[in-house]
Amino acid sequence: MPGLNLRPRRAPHPYASAVIALIVSVVIAPRAHAQPGASDVKPATNEPEDSLLAAESPAGLEDRVRALEEMLQLMGTLEAPAGQPERPAPAPRTLGGSSGPGLDIAVALDTAAAWFSAEGLQTGAHDPADTGFHLQQVEISLGQNVDHLFELRAYLVFTQFGVELEEAFGRSLALPGGLQLRAGQFLTRIGRLNATHPHGWSFIDQAMVNGTFLGSEGSRGAGLEVSWLAPLPWYVNVIASATDAAGGASAISFFGGDDLGIETPADLLYTMAVRQFFDISDDVGLAWGVSTQQGPNSTGNGNRTEIYNTDLYLRWRPSNSPSRMSLSWTLEGMIRRRQVPGDIRVDTGGYTQLVWNINPYWEVGGRYGFVSGSPEDDLMPEATEDRHRVTTQITYRPSHFSRLRLQGNRDQPLYRDEPIWVGMLQAEFLVGSHGAHDY
Amino acid sequence: MLMSPISRFPMALGGLRLATLMALLLTTFTAQASLRVAASTPDLAALVAEIGGEHVTVTSLSRPNEDPHYVDPKPSLVITLARADLLVFNGLDLEIGWLPPIRINSRNSAIQMGGAGDFDASRHIEPMETHLESNRAMGDIHPGGNPHFLYDPRNGARIATALGNKLAELEPEKRAFFVKSARAVADKLMTLAKQETARFAALKPEQRRVITYHRSLVYVLDWLGLDRPMTIEPRPGISPSPSHVARVLGVMRAQNVRTILQERFYPTKTSETLGRLANAKVVTLAGGASFAKKGELYSERIKTMAEAIYGTLAR
Repeated sequence: MPGLNLRPRRAPHPYASAVIALIVSVVIAPRAHAQPGASDVKPATNEPEDSLLAAESPAGLEDRVRALEEMLQLMGTLEAPAGQPERPAPAPRTLGGSSGPGLDIAVALDTAAAWFSAEGLQTGAHDPADTGFHLQQVEISLGQNVDHLFELRAYLVFTQFGVELEEAFGRSLALPGGLQLRAGQFLTRIGRLNATHPHGWSFIDQAMVNGTFLGSEGSRGAGLEVSWLAPLPWYVNVIASATDAAGGASAISFFGGDDLGIETPADLLYTMAVRQFFDISDDVGLAWGVSTQQGPNSTGNGNRTEIYNTDLYLRWRPSNSPSRMSLSWTLEGMIRRRQVPGDIRVDTGGYTQLVWNINPYWEVGGRYGFVSGSPEDDLMPEATEDRHRVTTQITYRPSHFSRLRLQGNRDQPLYRDEPIWVGMLQAEFLVGSHGAHDY
Repeated sequence: MLMSPISRFPMALGGLRLATLMALLLTTFTAQASLRVAASTPDLAALVAEIGGEHVTVTSLSRPNEDPHYVDPKPSLVITLARADLLVFNGLDLEIGWLPPIRINSRNSAIQMGGAGDFDASRHIEPMETHLESNRAMGDIHPGGNPHFLYDPRNGARIATALGNKLAELEPEKRAFFVKSARAVADKLMTLAKQETARFAALKPEQRRVITYHRSLVYVLDWLGLDRPMTIEPRPGISPSPSHVARVLGVMRAQNVRTILQERFYPTKTSETLGRLANAKVVTLAGGASFAKKGELYSERIKTMAEAIYGTLAR
């Protein structure tokens, strides 16, 4: 049952109540404090306003011109060295403003209803897995600059099964030489999709190859990452990380659920990636990544797994289009080599997707995914043959902070007699500090 | 090529020549070295370029007809930021959806929050429409205030003065130049502001009524003394429903509003329909100076904007 794999390796339940108490106190306290003043605030609605000019006499206009003249004189006499007093930063806002010392807090809720024509084979831990309602996740992100050298970001995920730490890391802000460090637990930079969170995805479910090769939660672990922005005319980011190789849902191709422990540095999971970006024109960009993961696997005797990944992302976005339309094409492919007693197993998988943002409100997308299967597969014994899945989605966004997404899958594991037809309807809500996404 | 003649001379002479050459190279390099400035909008880029002259190299992170709320955080912008000595941005959360990740990814400590090259323009003006308590049910509002203050050249003048001081802080030996230049730009902008205010004040009150698409033009309304009974967007960032459009039309007819103002990066369909039904003219304005393509000055762009509005109001 994939549902049982959801939980991180170290059961987090003892923390759950403490975390909830912390969140509640942080979120509720400023709200409660702000309540008495709330009625005084004039909301930014757009009711017809009384005509200002009708009331303004010619004398009023003269005043306006005179005020301007005075200001002009003031500007002329301004002692330049003294300059103008800098306006202090606005007071911290109720819920995680971007400036001020307050904590940035955001909450994202993904909830879905699904229908499956047969027993589902979803690979993602937060995918709707069977017919019925599913609370996919509530993600709480917290963070702020620690000081002038570091920032802290944490992403806590609540599901019906408990609380998990999706990511929590400190990141350097001011290392010289184009270097940056991350320490803590983070999603590794294998491929394009892995490092992103579900509310940034173009489909309701995780790409099949990611769930199969990297883990139902994606590849993540506690560790250290260093990345280097090369001093070249175009964007070249070289990333290397060492993380924990264990985790049934986060390092399935490595130690997975059987942590054999660390005896030498070779028992860690190493991820290396080179990510590049090319400005093809003002409106077209191409991102290209090559990455690999190397680490020990759970079959013992020093057996190892290697994953090789390449991803392409081509995006066309006419910057002067009032409808803010964009067309994005993604291709991601992986090869996995696993040493098992007496054999080397090679699997391949990948997906390609095309997403058209028609305007700020509507989006449509299609995706095809593939994962190879073999009768010898010990990780997914049922997957004796290849599996293909075709997905389409249509999304409506009433605003920047909510969305409704309807998705259909035709999932065809060749080891099943019939394809699995899936329909999903997802609602997503975002509150709190305004997030920003990477390209 | 260089090595062979030197090798024929005695060491001391060769060393001297090399030193001279290096000194010469260094001088040339220093003379050409200018402050690298990344500006989030073309208006800010045009202001810095005009103030800094040959002493600055300015790149705008967005383009004039691009909605500054929704710029693609392309990794190529990370490279621009990685090499910048100064990051000039609008602030009041205008760039919150795209600037923070590329700023952090640039790994350039100078332009991080609080660094020597961190310049938030909104700290130097008095914002309008500040919200002590903000709520997203009100639409996509900016709690600290309306961020579109650069449509008003009086704010441009304030920011120019502050930019002069910032440039002088980064290169103290050129202080006199930067401060003088900034003051000249600020004076020019204040003169322009005054001239236009006076010109618009001469219009009849009913000529000074406009409808705008977004709430982005409040500073223009304030500067030019225009009256805006309604906006086409019912709440900032929320597209109008047919019933709201009908209300706008009713107000336009009742108050005889004959001008609709909006930036080019907002959808024009609704505005054009309203214009047709209410016998009003739609004026589409550039979102910023055409800095990268034409080297347009901020003052020129503001003048063009005022001209376009005046021409329509006075018809």
